[in-house]
Amino acid sequence: SSSEHKLNFKKSKEACLSYIQDALLQKQWKRAAEFLTCYVESLEKDYSREHIGPSEMIWRIGTEILCHHSQSSMKEFNCFMEQMKTLGVKRYLKVCLEHVFHLLCNGQIDEAYQNLSLAESWRFGEQTAIQDKEMKLIQAYRGLLDYYSWFKQKNILLEHSEDGFSDLAVEQEMHGYFRKAAVNLKEIIKIPGVWDIFVKCYVDLLEFYGDHNEARKVLNEYAYNSKFPANPNAHVYLYQFLKRQGESKKSLISALKILHDIVPSHELMIDFNTMLQKSKKRKKRRLGLEVIFAALDYAGWKENAKAWSCLARQVKQIVISEKHLDWIKQEWSSRKDWWPAFHFSRYLAKRNWQENKSLSYEKALVAGILLGKGCKYFKYVSHRGCKAQLERFQMLKKFVNRHNPVYLRISG
Amino acid sequence: MEFPAALFPSYFGAGPPQEEGGPAPVAGWGEHGQVLEGGSGRRQVQPAFVPRRGAMGERWEAADAAAVPVLLPSAGCWIPSPAPQDILYRSGLCRKLRAGKSGATLDFARQLGHFFVDHPEDAFGSLGCLLHKNFYLGNSKLKVIVTRNSTIRMTALVEDIDRLEARRGCPRQHLASRLRWFSHLCRDWLFEVPLGLLADCLHEELTQQWSNLLFDDSLTGGALAWLPPEDGGTSVGCLVHPGGQAMNQLYFQDVVLEELPRTQGSPAQFELSGRIQQVAAARVDGQDFVGVRSDYHCGVWRVLGKRGAAPTPLQVIRTDVPASCLTVSPHLPGELSVCTQSGTVYLWSVETGLQQLRHDPQTMFFRDHSPWRWSDFTAHPRVLSCADRTGLQCLDARAPKRCHFDLFKVGDEAGCQQGERVVLPMYLGRAHPSQYLVTTQFSMYVLDERLPLVPVLKWAHMMKAPPLFAHLMPGKPGTSHKVLLGASRTQELLLLQYWDSFWGVSSGGSQSACQLVGTPQKLHSIAECLQHLPTQLPHRHHLLQQRLAAPAAGLTATLQEDGSHKSMLIFQLSEAGDVFCQRLTNKAAQPPATPSRDEATTAPGSSPLFEAPASSPQGLGAAALRYRRWLRVFSRACREPPRHTWPPSLSQRRLFTRRDLEGPAGPSSLQRQMRQQLRQTMEEGGRIQHREPLALQPPPLPTLEPTGGPDPLSARLTAAWAGDWEQWWEERTSFSVAQRQRALRERRRRQKRAQGRCSLSASFTSSLTYQSELSELSDTGPLLLPPSCPPILSQESSPPTGSPPVHSFATSAAPNEALLSSQSLCCHGIPKERQKTLRDYLSVWAEGPPEPPGCQASQLCIPSSQSQLSSASQPRHKRPRMGF
Repeated sequence: SSSEHKLNFKKSKEACLSYIQDALLQKQWKRAAEFLTCYVESLEKDYSREHIGPSEMIWRIGTEILCHHSQSSMKEFNCFMEQMKTLGVKRYLKVCLEHVFHLLCNGQIDEAYQNLSLAESWRFGEQTAIQDKEMKLIQAYRGLLDYYSWFKQKNILLEHSEDGFSDLAVEQEMHGYFRKAAVNLKEIIKIPGVWDIFVKCYVDLLEFYGDHNEARKVLNEYAYNSKFPANPNAHVYLYQFLKRQGESKKSLISALKILHDIVPSHELMIDFNTMLQKSKKRKKRRLGLEVIFAALDYAGWKENAKAWSCLARQVKQIVISEKHLDWIKQEWSSRKDWWPAFHFSRYLAKRNWQENKSLSYEKALVAGILLGKGCKYFKYVSHRGCKAQLERFQMLKKFVNRHNPVYLRISG
Repeated sequence: MEFPAALFPSYFGAGPPQEEGGPAPVAGWGEHGQVLEGGSGRRQVQPAFVPRRGAMGERWEAADAAAVPVLLPSAGCWIPSPAPQDILYRSGLCRKLRAGKSGATLDFARQLGHFFVDHPEDAFGSLGCLLHKNFYLGNSKLKVIVTRNSTIRMTALVEDIDRLEARRGCPRQHLASRLRWFSHLCRDWLFEVPLGLLADCLHEELTQQWSNLLFDDSLTGGALAWLPPEDGGTSVGCLVHPGGQAMNQLYFQDVVLEELPRTQGSPAQFELSGRIQQVAAARVDGQDFVGVRSDYHCGVWRVLGKRGAAPTPLQVIRTDVPASCLTVSPHLPGELSVCTQSGTVYLWSVETGLQQLRHDPQTMFFRDHSPWRWSDFTAHPRVLSCADRTGLQCLDARAPKRCHFDLFKVGDEAGCQQGERVVLPMYLGRAHPSQYLVTTQFSMYVLDERLPLVPVLKWAHMMKAPPLFAHLMPGKPGTSHKVLLGASRTQELLLLQYWDSFWGVSSGGSQSACQLVGTPQKLHSIAECLQHLPTQLPHRHHLLQQRLAAPAAGLTATLQEDGSHKSMLIFQLSEAGDVFCQRLTNKAAQPPATPSRDEATTAPGSSPLFEAPASSPQGLGAAALRYRRWLRVFSRACREPPRHTWPPSLSQRRLFTRRDLEGPAGPSSLQRQMRQQLRQTMEEGGRIQHREPLALQPPPLPTLEPTGGPDPLSARLTAAWAGDWEQWWEERTSFSVAQRQRALRERRRRQKRAQGRCSLSASFTSSLTYQSELSELSDTGPLLLPPSCPPILSQESSPPTGSPPVHSFATSAAPNEALLSSQSLCCHGIPKERQKTLRDYLSVWAEGPPEPPGCQASQLCIPSSQSQLSSASQPRHKRPRMGF
């Protein structure tokens, strides 16, 4: 009846696990810990071929309990982690990595660094693909910590140089950190992924040592390699780098144009619009109008007063100059069936007026031009504004009344 | 909303999922995921890191020991849907055989047997009548030689069958030769419906029921919605929920949020033509739009912000294929998106009608057999997401063919496991305009549409059943957003908290990435309250257990802030139509010094719920009172026999005058004799035995069978009388089986198609009830009948408007006409030739029946399989009913 015994053992193991799970989900850490001490027995007869074996389960449950138990200490946590590392070979690197994360979040940077170095020197047979990835991450995090040390040394050095004396030992130490950090960071950012902090740190290092070409290459690769996800930050970093380098307007605009194409709702679109509006080229100003219209399509921009003022300014310019009314007409044609309900309803007029007068001013101007003086939004806001005897709103009313025929040309 | 200045590191792969796996019981614990430098940088000595998961969150604690009922149980017994043990083959032998193999064995033979017993008329009608002379049902032996030649003794056959039943599962069983002989003889002609065809249909139905039992995705999204009070207004919100025995009544119930939410007034009530599968709601410009999905109809209602205003039905659409999704736009009033199981996605605007965005019966990224589709809105009001089991794509409604991008893919991009499938996507717009929730059976993901394919958050939720319901409670700036995940079959409820962004100081005040905070928390399920209830009688306990364990059908919640006191109310709907509620209160985020109250296990019957708090004057808490009342109504509802099992009866009062009914003045001689006998027996202390045939036998029940039609027997007699009996017999028997099968297949197909069109003109007529009295659940209110009592005020809705595919409420046809329309009769499987008879018959009844066959009217409006619950008399409840 050994099979029966096996079956019973399995059953009680499962029951125990479900009790633990129940306790964890109800934040009963003490109760969960008591059950876990019983569950440890499951390690003895581990017949399972499941996806997650008992050793990993114990690691996961134990970590969770120790993170939240009122009487646990960092020392206990470290002790538990060391035991867990010896428990399962397959998951050694994963456990190390998680241990490091815990140390980092608790501010124990040096201990974390030591653990990373230890983990990096670990070898066991042939590495699986997952272990390979974990190892790369461990190296990258070590590089990151090296970067922070470099950064610290750099600040010390800068302070000293302000005081007027140089410290050769500190400088050498700093260069040492640079080399260690650069080697590891360079490796991880070659692999497709989201590596925002690693890229940022690596570029910072390169820029400090004046290797601008390499920095540009890294950023271009991060932004434009098709194997990488379409990460808006990659383009933002490139744009910021170009700006720091004092590149021409043209290259800045082309960087932002690509960002506009992948994320039309990015917050940099306001900068982009201002840049384009200032341009002398007609095509660029046309693009500017397109950019700001596209941004205001998104629900997140609905109450963005800055964006509305950008649009209001440009629309006003066009109306006064009476040139390029067809630009507005073109933009408006794909929006006229839903913008009125989305932006210019009476309900919104009331709410915008109550919450943000300047937003309602800008919106009323746009609404008055696009929909004419009969539009609900414009009527409500201008009426309220005139009643409150705000000069701005009286001017607005006059302006819209004067240019009312424009609306017929736009919507026609 | 700004994009985070730095995201948590992650690998990005492409292609099919790499990770092997399956359900892992503890996969979500103990991980930080990744860390990111969060608060520090240039100004501080040391960098500070924040984890992707595991940061401190808000502490929420349950206020009561169990969920508390909000509504009283509805009248009429709830009939549970079939359970696995009802349709699976149960026998020791089979279990042994199956031990090695996976997969279930459906008990096909038993179901077929049920059909023959429940519907003998449909199964053997004509030949049964023809042969009844040749079947002898007595116990004694057949004596006369003449009859012996043409008559068989059925009792012996029945005995054989019983013996066979008793030996079921025995490996040595031999068919009794008599049975084999009989079945060999009559298998081909005895059955009204050819056996092969019947078996096909039954098997099809059985496998469908079984797959529904394994995973029923028609409930995705949930059928419960909460319309919150307007900002700064009263604490009266509106709960939108389905009810009634067939879950085809839609209620808009005002609810006052107090310590325990309490209903106020009577609900506005609408009767729909199908089981309500989903209720979705969104608030646009201060108005609530409520979308309701049943299998073949979707409708939209508008509720004005001010409470007390009646909900207005706006429009209804009908689909040929069951709809699988209905979501309401949070951006534009009166816009919804609809998906059908044929793979079509529509943008539905109340003003302009339907716009088809996509039609593709194939799944998007790889082949999957599920016809389930979903669609929701995104940050851009013209861009809709559409999903199937393999992932999500976003489409621009202005150019759906050209402009689209992949938002989520089950693959290595998101680090999915093999076999992982999308269960429920949800737009998280109220928390963050560009974020999205996607749940699979293993994990939950938060996606940002500005960074498609790479989840900004991923966590293994470890739920036992896939989360079909989700509800978002956006937090104010600086607090976490709360997401509730709910499963149907297991009633699981999980509370999660996340920050869409935290403020990194180093990056100059810009936003940083999304984080899961706090630990996930399990909330009370409805079934768990059983252990807190007072001890019940065993059979009552069983009923209660069954009722409370009904699968969940919806989920909604609301946050309440009262100064510094924050609380959360969570409503859960069960398939039985019960709505339960629980309150969580916010505690300051500090580690608990003492173990919380619920760490102590509670014994049944000794629950803190029913302990008398000192403060309460009645001696019991409000929750306990609520339970008492609920239990009382529940037991009353279960005690009274379900109405549809009563045999039809005729009132004799109108047929006979009183004098006719009155007997002779004095007692008859028989009566006198009986009395005398009774008295004598009582004196002797003996007992009365039925020695003599009594004249007091109850008269046979009058039947309500339609007798006008030419039943086979009279047809035969008529034919015989006319002399062409032989020809009749030819037609009857040698009517080739193939021909009959073809005709029947055609009929079945017609019926299946008709199920789709079953919406009768009278459907969606709405009725509102207004009652000034307080409803029962208010603690002081008088006890009224539950809301299924007949509506007081019936209101016909607006005349039809809109383009051809949009069908508005029909108003013309009176229910009676609809009842008699040939289409509806066809739907109920009544053959054409009998329709006229039935119509004549019903028209007689319609003139002034003492008691009309009431079940017919309600049956009309339910095309779903629930309809049979109210059809023919069915005494045994536990057996699953197949869709015949």
